[in-house]
Parts: sequence; structure tokens; C-alpha cells
Amino acid sequence: MTDRLYPAAWDRDTGPFFTAAREGRLVFCACNACDRGLHVPTPSCRFCGSIDTSWRDARGTGTLYSWTTVTQQAHPAWPVPYTVVIVALDEAPEVRLTGCIPGAPALSAGQPMQVWFEDIGQGRTLPNWRPLQNGDLA
Amino acid sequence: MTAQDYVPFRDRAAVAGIGRTAFSRDSGRSALALATEAARAAISDAGLRPDQIDGLVRCDMDQTTGAAMAGALALPDVQFSADVGVGGGAPCAMIGVAAAAVLSGQARHVLVWRALNGRSEGRLGAAIAPRVVAGGQASYDDFFTPYGLLTAPQSFALLAQRHRTLYGTTDEQFGAVAILCRDNANRTPHAQMNGKPLDMAGYLASRMISTPLRLFDCCLETDGAAAVVVTTTDRARDLAQTPALIRATAQAPAVGSGGGMMFPSITWTDPLALAAGPVAHRLWSRAGLGPQDIDVAQVYDCFTITILLQLEAYGLCAPGESGPFVQSGAVSADGRVPINTDGGNMSGGYIHGLNHLVEAVRQMRGTADVQKSGAETCLVTSGPVGMSSALVLRRDA
Ligand SMILES: [Zn+2]
Repeated sequence: MTDRLYPAAWDRDTGPFFTAAREGRLVFCACNACDRGLHVPTPSCRFCGSIDTSWRDARGTGTLYSWTTVTQQAHPAWPVPYTVVIVALDEAPEVRLTGCIPGAPALSAGQPMQVWFEDIGQGRTLPNWRPLQNGDLA
Repeated sequence: MTAQDYVPFRDRAAVAGIGRTAFSRDSGRSALALATEAARAAISDAGLRPDQIDGLVRCDMDQTTGAAMAGALALPDVQFSADVGVGGGAPCAMIGVAAAAVLSGQARHVLVWRALNGRSEGRLGAAIAPRVVAGGQASYDDFFTPYGLLTAPQSFALLAQRHRTLYGTTDEQFGAVAILCRDNANRTPHAQMNGKPLDMAGYLASRMISTPLRLFDCCLETDGAAAVVVTTTDRARDLAQTPALIRATAQAPAVGSGGGMMFPSITWTDPLALAAGPVAHRLWSRAGLGPQDIDVAQVYDCFTITILLQLEAYGLCAPGESGPFVQSGAVSADGRVPINTDGGNMSGGYIHGLNHLVEAVRQMRGTADVQKSGAETCLVTSGPVGMSSALVLRRDA
């Protein structure tokens, strides 16, 4: 087995994202003063400056914002080709989360995306993203 | 702080000397040896002796330290030293710090350098943060590297794809950027890609690294060093070379960057605006000049996409129009504003952008290999992500 990279679960600013994922929940940090999403989750709001922020449950749907299909190997745990996707959350499109899809799928900007939870071992789970398929509850 | 505060400092500091080593894939020497060679060349070019250097400005990522440089050059009396970052955003900010030092009387002649074995000792294009446990302490790597987003080309590819989505930017437009840099390198003997012409077929055939970026969308990885000497304009006029006046400098972090460096750029409010937007605004205000006043430019080019984004940010073309603008020839060697006239980071050599300063000074002296005829002003930009900086040089009247 090839060692992959694991998110630090101990970080107080970012850890709740991965703790929730372990429970099968997608959460995002939001500002309670101006109601906008904050990602990356800075301790104060990048829009209004408030320090009143909290983690909210997300529906788990979004749209494709950008992507890149990696064709030059950079790390043994990620055989090429694979495709990194950036997804804007439906309820807070200013929040753009990362996902990874094996291979080189045909993608188009704005297409609907669906979260899924990937157990990567070591007690860690990643919220991951794939194109919305027939049968998904959108 | 307004631009008005800057007015008294326009043109009062200058670049008096420039130096560089050969650029190669394997220097066979230490970074300190490279730094020393470039520094001695710059000091000699200015008509100074090393013992007249009393200020040092180092890039925070440099493989050499200020103390090592002071020792290697046997500097007896360093009164001012500073580390300036961040990385590729540093060069123009380093010149700004050096200018501040000489204009405030803290030093007379400041050496600014960048040295790296960027190919033979640790490749800059490799995985940036391949730590098994990613994130913590506001690096935000935990949101990116566990998903396989690992390298600079991959990160900039996300921005390039976004530009394609919004503006329909084509492969051929990215290719036009790579080719114009290569054309300039082929007229510049010291450029690493001199003697290796590139046409559109060759660009399109180059291997894909991370879509839509191909090998020839990426800058070089280089062993080498560059150095410049900054002093007051009054002093520079008594030295060996025609001074290149520092009209204005500016630096800024990205707006809404939310910490971190490169990978979070795709999460910013407007990823394509990067940090260059506020830098450009500040620079033009301080300089009392605008893009229409610029004769030639050295634009930070870690990837083709960063050239396109900065042409828009600095107002050389309208937002979204950089692809057709480059294709029109406007920034080619015989265009209105030639850019990256020695091949830049893409085809000249990647000294993390300090090479752009050396070339800008050559343009102001009229000694560049691809010389813009009658050039009186040169824009230089450094590192458009995270922290960014820029400056305008002016030929001494
Ligand atoms: Zn807010």
C-alpha cells in the first residue's frame, strides 16, 4: 500500500470539517454576521470582518467551478491520470471545495456535483465529489 | 497612506549595477558560489568595490543567508539587512526595501540577490508540501494535498481552466505566450532555451502536465543567480553606468486570500484577480503613470496563465482579452509593449523573477539583446499569487 496524505484533524480552524466528515456530514464554515460561507475557514470573516463564525451542515450538492486532469505523476499515491475538481456549494457558492476523480472524465463548467465520503484509513474520511448521477437525490 | 505620500520618492533611488551567472540545469556549484559570482558582477558593473556594499536584501526563500553573503564577499560594514518575501512575489518588493534603506540613510549601496540550484538541488516544480499529515497553522494544505492537488502546475492549471471557462481562452492563445517568450530567448545568447526554437505545432505537441497546461506552459527550473545594486539616484549618477531610476514600487497581498499561499488561490473571491490587482492600482498611482506610458515589460511568468492574468490586471488589455491580445502581437518583440524580452522565466532562466530586474535595467540602458527602441519606461512584476509586487523603472533623462 502506498502512503497517501492525510488531513491534520487536530487543527482548530480546519479540523471540524474532517471530524464531521467522519460522521458522514458535509459542513462548511460561515459568518453569522453577514451569512456568507468562508472557505478556506479563516478565523474571521473575509467579507465583513466578524469573528462570529460557525460550522453549518451543507446539503452536499454543488456545481463544477474548475478542474484539472493531472497527467504527470507527482506522488506515488496518485497514479495518473486523475482529475482534481473544485466545486461551488449550492447554498453558498462562495465556498469552493476540492475533490478528486480517478481518470480523465469529460466535464463541463457548472455541471451538478454530488458529495460522497471516502474512508482513506488512519481514521480519516474525506468529503469527495463526483458528477451527479441518475438516482442521486439532488 | 495615499499615492501622494509617495511622490517625493519617485525616481530618487536607482539600480546602479546588475549581474548574473550563467543559467543551467546543473551548475555544479553551491548556491553561495552562484550568489557570490552574480553579486561581484553587479558590484563591479556599478563601478563599486565589495567593501562599499553596506546593505543586504535577501529573498526569504533563498538558499543563501545574509551572513553567508557578508562572509563570502568579505563585507566589513553591513549596516542594513532584510529578508523579504514571499518567494516569487519578492523581487520587486526587495527593490522597494532596498530603495527605502538608501533613501532613509540606513545604507548607501544595497545588494539585492537571488540564488538557487532550482534544477539540480530540489526541483521547484515537484510536489510542494508532500507531508503525510497535511495542514495546520493556516497552511490549509489539508483541503488540497489529500485530494492529490500537489504541485504548482496543478494549482495554476485550475486558474487556467477557469480563464478558459469564463473567456474561451484557447490552446493556441496559451501557445502564443510560450512562443513569444521562446522567440525572445532565441535572440538572447544567455537564455537557457537559446537555440531551441518553438512553433505552434511544437507547443501543441508538448506533453500535457495538468490540463490545460502543457510542458511549454511551465517555466524552466534553473540553477543560477542574479543580483543588483541599489543606491540613491544622486550617488548612482557618479557611478559607472547610466542609472535605471526606480520610478515607484508597490506590493500587496491578494484581496480575500484567506491565508495560505498557492493552493487556496482557487477559493478566493475572484481567483483570477490574484494579488496583482491591488498592486497594479497602487503602482500606477505612486508612479503617476499608467499602462499606456509603459514601453516594455517583464511580467512574472511561472506559467503562461500568469502572464495572461497580469496583462489584464495591469491594464495592458481589458479583463478577459489577454488571449486575443497576445495573439495580436501587441506584446511580441516588435509590438507596442514587448514583454519578457530575454525569454523570462519561461525560456530565459528561472531565477525566481530577479532575472526580470536585470533584463529591465538592460532595457533602460539600451543594451538588451531584444532591445525596445527608445524605451524609457519598463514595468516589472513579481509573483501574482498570495503576495505580489511590482515596480516601474525609468531611463535617466
Ligand atoms: Zn461576514
